[in-house]
Formats: sequence, structure tokens, C-alpha cells
Amino acid sequence: MDDDYASTDEDYQYSDQDVEEEDSVGEFYENADDSIQLPSSIAPAAQVITKESLIVAQKEDLRRVMDMLSVRQEHARIMLIYHRWDVEKLFEVYVEKGKAFMFAQAGVSVDEYHDSGSLDSAIVMCEICMDDIPSDEATRMDCGHCFCNTCWTQHFFVKVNEGQSKRIRCMAHKCNSICDEAVVRTLLGRKHPDMAEKYARFLLESYIEDNNKVKWCPSTPHCGNAIRVGGDDDLCEVECSCGEQFCFKCLSEAHSPCSCLMWELWEKKCRDESETVNWITVHTKSCPKCHKPVEKNGGCNLVSCICGQAFCWLCGGATGRDHTWSSIAGHSCGRYKEQEKSAERAKRDLYRYMHYHNRYKAHTDSFKLESKLKDIIQGKISITEEKHSGRKKTELNDYSWVNNGLLRLFRSRRVLSYSYAFAFYMFGDELFKEQMSEAEREMKQNLFEDQQQQLEANVEKLSKILEEPFDTFKYAKLMEIRMQIITLSALIDDLCKKMYECIDNDLLDSINLGSVHSIAPYKSKGIEKASELPVCWSNKADNTEMLLSEKDSCIYAASVGVTAELNQSEESGCSSRKRARKEGGFFDLNLPAEVVDRN
Amino acid sequence: MQASRARLFKEYKEVQREKTADPDIQLVCDDSNIFKWTALIKGPSETPFDGGVFQLAFSVPEHYPLQPPQVRFLTKIFHPNVHFKTGEICLDILKTAWSPAWTLQSVCRAIIALMAHPEPDSPLNCDSGNLLRSGDVRGYQSMARMYTRLAAMPKKG
Repeated sequence: MDDDYASTDEDYQYSDQDVEEEDSVGEFYENADDSIQLPSSIAPAAQVITKESLIVAQKEDLRRVMDMLSVRQEHARIMLIYHRWDVEKLFEVYVEKGKAFMFAQAGVSVDEYHDSGSLDSAIVMCEICMDDIPSDEATRMDCGHCFCNTCWTQHFFVKVNEGQSKRIRCMAHKCNSICDEAVVRTLLGRKHPDMAEKYARFLLESYIEDNNKVKWCPSTPHCGNAIRVGGDDDLCEVECSCGEQFCFKCLSEAHSPCSCLMWELWEKKCRDESETVNWITVHTKSCPKCHKPVEKNGGCNLVSCICGQAFCWLCGGATGRDHTWSSIAGHSCGRYKEQEKSAERAKRDLYRYMHYHNRYKAHTDSFKLESKLKDIIQGKISITEEKHSGRKKTELNDYSWVNNGLLRLFRSRRVLSYSYAFAFYMFGDELFKEQMSEAEREMKQNLFEDQQQQLEANVEKLSKILEEPFDTFKYAKLMEIRMQIITLSALIDDLCKKMYECIDNDLLDSINLGSVHSIAPYKSKGIEKASELPVCWSNKADNTEMLLSEKDSCIYAASVGVTAELNQSEESGCSSRKRARKEGGFFDLNLPAEVVDRN
Repeated sequence: MQASRARLFKEYKEVQREKTADPDIQLVCDDSNIFKWTALIKGPSETPFDGGVFQLAFSVPEHYPLQPPQVRFLTKIFHPNVHFKTGEICLDILKTAWSPAWTLQSVCRAIIALMAHPEPDSPLNCDSGNLLRSGDVRGYQSMARMYTRLAAMPKKG
């Protein structure tokens, strides 16, 4: 008997784990839930990016570009923003078109302006305000254009205000060059600290907003987090640390095995129709002439539509207008007649929708009701625990089988409810009418429905068992229930998996052109919880000493060579010049990644 | 606010000084409001606008020169890139390609250049654009010349 248990459990969870004793089974289940949060080294799992870990999150991509092309971090950032943080694409451009093209395209000026002669003269004329100003109140950008600080500041202010933080261009006509980050922050920070902060934030958030692999969590009210997915496939379902579960691709609720498009259509249909449809079917009849739904607001059964057509409320048939209290001219609907075809069709469509919708709704409702089971079951567990506390420890020392069964129930309920929405579109005329022959469709429908029915039956069984008052049971019966729950859970998991496989391989495979209807893969352990990124960044640690930065760091920005700068940062990790750039309170975007780590 | 005022004042002085340098453009500032300007430009020679004098209205925004001034024709003109009714001008430097290094004077010069070289592919005046796009240069020129005579030339006698 014991051997039996163990082997079942083994199948249910992981075949690669060594489960020998009954005892370990319990522990095993306990771990089952924790193991949802796989360490990132094993799987390229989804990760939560919080406000705090945003810098750390993008450092790896920046690092790669900086190392590969030996450029400054801000230049790496400009280019990555231009290429939507697609490092591979950036390298592709580099290999195919060359460095110069890549820089010019993104608006990076690395060929620093060498002729500093004009800066030496005490007075420069700013072409924007047309004022003559002392040269230490003017700033020359990497592209060589020099304007006065006041004009620069105003330019930055206007651009940041317009929401163009990520690509602020030089003021000169037809100059494509992007303004130096440090200069923007220094100049803007002097007069409009709030704007400088906004600028820095937008720049950082570009990693989320201009990136196909990172998306904001769609929770409302917004939790402030973003999710980054690993791997190449953005088709997956994730759970944010705030508890919001969603489809990463379309950002609506997790909806597999529906495809995103199906779900969008379904949701819209439900929103638009269910309430209305219900009301319309109960309260109206459609006019035999114009087919508008007509509500009867009193009077006799001869109803007149706004189109002028009169019809009998009892049978919906068109009639003449002459009538008495007891009869309508030329009409007797007491006689039974076959109904007309077109009306039949509309009705069939509606019934079809209602069939799927009712089942979809039933499972969603069950899911909601069963969510309350969690607490009840906890209560039962503690009672049972007390009752059997005298027992040998090895036999019943933990009740994770109940909780696991419950989780399995929740997950499969979800799958079941969405499978009805899937079926509605899969076997309906809306999406795939052209792609499938009638016979083919029937075959597929049978195949799918068989699986669905099996799953449904087992889910209901599990639901029933879980609601049993096992806290009142004797030990033998308790063990029996435990056994049932465990086997059922395993069976359901398997059925779910098979259903996904069936959808992927047998149903969608032949007709899913362009993979519009790809579905997120089945996860036996439920929707993947995004793991937290470690935050190695402390904001306040050493900012205070840097508060008094070099006043003219902006001018310096134009005159220090790239290579010199890189060397510095390589040697000391944090050169004095880099430190000097730091402004109190802001994130320092230019700090080399390893310094960020160290802090 | 102050910056734009100062800059406009500078431009005003510049205009006064170079009045004779460019006889095709006559920029005048509103007596009471330095943010409102009008300009009289001469239609470029060898175009259907030759001989006409066109009036432009400038409305300068608060953030000038960081934001472009709004310019429109007050004189009716038949040109693919000028709205026939409102006088609105479709010119890249007045929209996305604006740079603070431009001045009102240089904007006028750009508009004169636009009159000589219309861009029929981004028309505000579809009739005019279609004539050019279909290759009917004569039709376009005669229409444009007619409107120049009607609207942009002083009536004789």
C-alpha cells in the first residue's frame, strides 16, 4: 500500500526526485509550492522590477554594450533606447553598417569637438538668445554646438515638459545629436530640480517602456512594478509580486488556453452582450420585418414596431393591423408551424453563445466560491491535526495534500472556464470558418470535447471531495480521502496538460497561420510567480559628500576624451570625475555597474 | 517669458538694422505686442507669385525660440502647402524640424523658398497638389497666377 502511495506521488510531482519513504512525500508537497519561485539560474524566469531595482535590471544590457563597443554608459543608453533595448539588434547594425553609421543613426557624437579655441575666448555669442556671454556660462555639446546655459536649460525644460526626455536633441538646426545626460541633469538641476528628477526617471523608465521584454504590471491601482520575462518568448503568464496575474503578451488577465485574440473577442462579447442579451431575450421579440428587438410596453398582443410592421407578440409572426380584443385579422397563431430559417439561425447563434457563456460563467463562479474554501479547510486541518496528534509522526504529520488538492482545483477551474471561451471561437464561424471543413471541425470538436468533459468530471469530483467534512472522519477514512485527493490531483494535472497539448498540436496546428492564436504553455504549478530582483543599490549611502559637485562639470563633459574616461572607470571603478557628476537625490545614471553593486 | 521677450527685442533691432539688406522681406512688429508680428514678402520671380505681395501673420509662443512661431498667410494664395481658407502653412521647420537657431527673418526666407519649390506630396491644398502631381504645371501656374493677381496685387485705377 505504502509503495503505491509513493509511486503515485512521484508521478504527480517530479519524476526525477527520489521519493522512497512515505515520510518524504509530505515534505515534498510542502516544497511544491515554494518551488514555484525557481531560482533564476535554473530557468530564465520572469522577474519583478521595482522602482529600486530598476537600475540593477538594466545594468547588464548596458554593460554588454559598453564592453563590446567600448563606449560610455550614456552613449550605450542612447543607442539602446534607439533600438528598443534589443542588444542583438544593436550589434547587428554594428556588424552590418559599421560603427559610424550606428552612432549617427542613434544620435551619438563620440567624435568629440576638439577645437576648444572658441571657448578660450572670454566672450561667446549664443545664437539662440543672440546675447554675448562669458564663455564659462556657455556649454558646448559633444556635437560641437555651443549655446548659453540659460538657453540650454530652457530647451531641456521645454523638452522634458513635452515628455521627450529620452531623446533631447541639440538645439542647432538639423543636428541629430542627443544631448549629454550629465549636462542635462546638471543644468536642469540648478534651476528646476523637479524637472531634472523627472528627466532622470524617464530615462530610467525607458528600460520598461521601450522594451519588448519588460512591461508594467497592469494592476489597478498600479503597484509600481514592472515584469521582465526571460527567454525569447513573450507568450507566457506571470504573477507580479503584488499578486496580479496576467498574460504578458496582451496584459489582460491570464486566459490560457484561449489565445490573446480569442480572449479579447470573448471579453468584449461578454461585456457587450451578456447583460444585454439576457435582458433582450427575456423582454423583447424581434420584429419580423426589420429584425429590431421590440419591447412590449403594455396593451394587447398585437404589437406594432417603429418600422410600421405589426406582429403578434405570442408567435412573433407578421400580421395585419385590424384586430379586435379576441382576434387579429388574418392571423391565428394557435396553429403550430415550422419556424422560419433566418430567425432560427439568429436564435441558434444566441443559444450557442449562451451555452458556452453559461459554462464559462459557472466555472468562474465556482472558482470564486471555492476561493472561500481555503479558510474553511485551514480550520478543518487544525481540528484534524489536534485529533490525530497522538498518531505516529511518520504517518500523518502534515496536511499539504489538502492544500495541494485545493490549489490544483483552483488552477483547473481556471483552465476549464477559459476552455469554454476557447471552444466558442475554435468551433464557431467567426475565426476559422474558412480554414476548416465541416467534417474536420466536427472531428476536432469531438476530440476536444471528450477531453474537456473528462477534465470537467474530475474537477467536480475533486471539488466535492474537498468539501467533505474530513475533520470528523476516522483515521482510516481520512487516509482514504487523502489517497483520493492525491490521485485525482495527479489525474487532473495530467488532463490539463493533455488538453493544452491537444489544442497546440491537433487543433490549432494546421490552421494557425502566422501563429496569431498561439497559447501560453501549460504550467502544472500554476502561473509563474515573478521573482524579485535583488536590490544592491542604496540611494543615500554616499550621496551627501557629493552634493557639492563641480560647477562646470558640463564643460568638462565636452573636453574629456572617451578613452580617458573609460580607463578611469576601469581602474578605480569610480573615478573622482564620475563622482563629481553625481547630484544629490538623483539616481546616478553614469555610475559604472560594479559601483552600483558595491553600494 | 523674459527670455523670449529679450530675444524678440534683439530680432527687432536686427530687422531695423538690416532693413535694406533684404528688400523682399518687410518684417513689422505689432506696436503694442512684441509677440505679434506681420511680414510682407514679395513673390519670388519666375514663379506664378511674381509681382505679388503677400502678408504673413506671426504669433510667437511664450517659449520662443524653443518652440516655433505660428505663421499663416493673410493674403489668399494658391499653393499646395498652404491651406486655401485659413492660410496655414505646412513647412517642416515650423513643426518638427524647428530649431531655436531660426529667426523670424529666416522663417520668412524659408517661406519664400517654399513658394518657389512647392512640395505637392504633402498638400494642404489638395486641388493645387493634384494639379502638380498629375503633371499639369501649366494649369497650376495659371491658377496660382490668377489668385496672385486677384489677391496679392494692388488694384490699378
